[in-house]
Amino acid sequence: MIFDPSIITDHLGDIGEGFMVTLGTWSAGVALGLLLGLLIAVAQLFGNRLVRAPLRVFIEMIRSTPFLVQLFLVYYGGPSFGLSLDPIPAGILGLGIYGSVYFAEIFRTGFESVARGQLEAADCLGISRLQCIMRIQIPQMLVIILPALVNLVTILCKETAVLSIITIPELTMVLTGIGSETFAFVETLLVLCIGYLLLVEACSRLGMLLEVRVGRFMQKQPR
Amino acid sequence: MFDWPLLLKNLPLLLDSLLVTLEISVAALAFGFVIGVIVGSLRLSPLPFLRRLGGAYIFVFRGIPLLVQLLFIYYFLPRIGLPNVSPMVAAVIGLSLAAGAYIAEIMRGGFLAIPGGQLEAAGLLGLSRGQMLVRIRVPQAVRLTLPALVNEMILLIKASSLVSVVGLADLTRTAQNIAASDYMFVQDYLMLAGFYCLINIPLAFLGGQLERHLKERTA
Amino acid sequence: MQLDSLFSKKLNGLCIALTLAGACMAAQADQLADVKKSGELVVGTELQFAPFDFTEGGKQQGLNAELFEQLGKELGVKVRFMDLPWPSVLPGLEAKKFDIVGGPLIVTKARKERYHFLLPVAEATVALLVSAKDSSITKPEDISGKAVGAGKGSAQLEELKTFASTLPKKVDVREYIDNNQAYAELGTKRIVAVANSLPNISYVAAQHPDKYKVVMPPFGKKSYFAYLGRKDDDANSLIAALDQAMLKMHDDGRLAALQKKWLGTEMDVPKADFEPTW
Repeated sequence: MIFDPSIITDHLGDIGEGFMVTLGTWSAGVALGLLLGLLIAVAQLFGNRLVRAPLRVFIEMIRSTPFLVQLFLVYYGGPSFGLSLDPIPAGILGLGIYGSVYFAEIFRTGFESVARGQLEAADCLGISRLQCIMRIQIPQMLVIILPALVNLVTILCKETAVLSIITIPELTMVLTGIGSETFAFVETLLVLCIGYLLLVEACSRLGMLLEVRVGRFMQKQPR
Repeated sequence: MFDWPLLLKNLPLLLDSLLVTLEISVAALAFGFVIGVIVGSLRLSPLPFLRRLGGAYIFVFRGIPLLVQLLFIYYFLPRIGLPNVSPMVAAVIGLSLAAGAYIAEIMRGGFLAIPGGQLEAAGLLGLSRGQMLVRIRVPQAVRLTLPALVNEMILLIKASSLVSVVGLADLTRTAQNIAASDYMFVQDYLMLAGFYCLINIPLAFLGGQLERHLKERTA
Repeated sequence: MQLDSLFSKKLNGLCIALTLAGACMAAQADQLADVKKSGELVVGTELQFAPFDFTEGGKQQGLNAELFEQLGKELGVKVRFMDLPWPSVLPGLEAKKFDIVGGPLIVTKARKERYHFLLPVAEATVALLVSAKDSSITKPEDISGKAVGAGKGSAQLEELKTFASTLPKKVDVREYIDNNQAYAELGTKRIVAVANSLPNISYVAAQHPDKYKVVMPPFGKKSYFAYLGRKDDDANSLIAALDQAMLKMHDDGRLAALQKKWLGTEMDVPKADFEPTW
């Protein structure tokens, strides 16, 4: 069993396309997840009981079921509920929903960690609640929650491997496809491992850079 | 929309396969815990080489998607002469290796949270490093990280939905096979999701209670 | 000329077999002896390939279960099936997770170079399944410019791609991990047709005439379904023994009876090694 690099070089175009699909669905899913997560966190913290109770159920259900099963339900079950999406939008929606509850949890901890006294002070100064969230809470908590965010973003990167089950031609789909076409199962699998390691590593390096950058910004703040 | 008689007919099948899912998840938590304690200790070792070794383990097993890891164990290892294990064993190995990487990080946090005085006291009492690890550091760290470990169990039960690629009929595979024969995809997958909720929601509740308990005691 | 190419192909196959055997440490091993010793023939398959393999009430049903039961009797061993998602089946054979691949698979030239096929069990020519309510597709060429599904890692997919490339407008080919999801997708209208072998889709259409129908004629070239094993030297004995059992079932009518029961009709399949059309 010798590694045959021609299997990879012959399909470089397809692999590149798969890589782009992985990158695209990942970043779109993360963006959607961040947005939904922020909304959920704000609703949980500031909404009344009527809003919070159903949200709690939603969060528990999403956290309790495998991403694979959720994806199946969004894609194959969606049409029964009048939601007929193409594979890629369905994948992004699935990834976004899955990520949103974890993002929300991170945001919630972040919000709670901002000192209470600051909010009271803001209240005294007549700053509205929305302004308070946007101007005071979010910038401060970003610093605190950045490591957790980066960690979640890398987890979501790996979850994109599951998207192949709803026919999305991402990296795993393309490479295992080449594997069954050429019977070069080992070569394709090794490339797959290396591909994901590189992606995850690049993401956490980027996160570290961000942390340094944001940390510097915090140090400049007057005490 | 629901075909209740069919649903009831499939219930025993799903319950049987739920046992498979639980078996491999519990086994993987146990083995993953052992790996996690070892790798977590390596990460805190005074020797740079050992620290790097622990870091490399976490880098690899957290960096590669579980699906790909499972395929790797299944396709590749037998070719380089490693023994050909049964689907059950392959699934447990795959899940344990991945869980080990996550538990290592949890345990590292737990080890760091143990007050230094305790270890010094243990050292004075003449406990060896091994004894200290088993008798003092691990039990303390487990107590401190119990909520995180319960959470890891939930993650493992969910992750085990991928083990069909090594030939094991877990809960998800069984539901897929049922759906493939009765074409009631929505009903079957909703039922599947329900089964996972049935196990994981109480676990999440337990984790929350433990966390609150811990906070009260340490506060 | 023809003889020449045939000869070189054989030589080629021999070379591959030799390198594979060379790579394998246990070159003297004999798979038939191993199977007899353990008293068990392990078959890797996917339980989502009706009418060959599927489940009903959790039990395996279909042609494979009954045919392998007979083959096992001939060999004097028990048969155990191992269910895997289709893309994992061939790699599993190479990793020696089981002895024989169920399926069955279409015999193609590329696969023949890599694996050792048994004698065919059924005809496998590829055709299209469409929604029963869809009147826009009356012949295979009508899929031009539309979305069509097929099983990932299947020869049916390759055949669909080949056919699609001859059509005037680009066909959007989608790859499904299992065929049943593709069938379900006809209901959601995300795809207009599924390409699969005639026995499979005829069975699906017969089971659910209100949902599905088959578009005649088949677009693929005439092809056959067969089980397969490894091409290593140690596997020859097992495959020869299974082929012999298969011939016996040809002669005493058991194969024809099983074809009639599960595929709806008796099928004329080659009783000796043959050259696949593609």
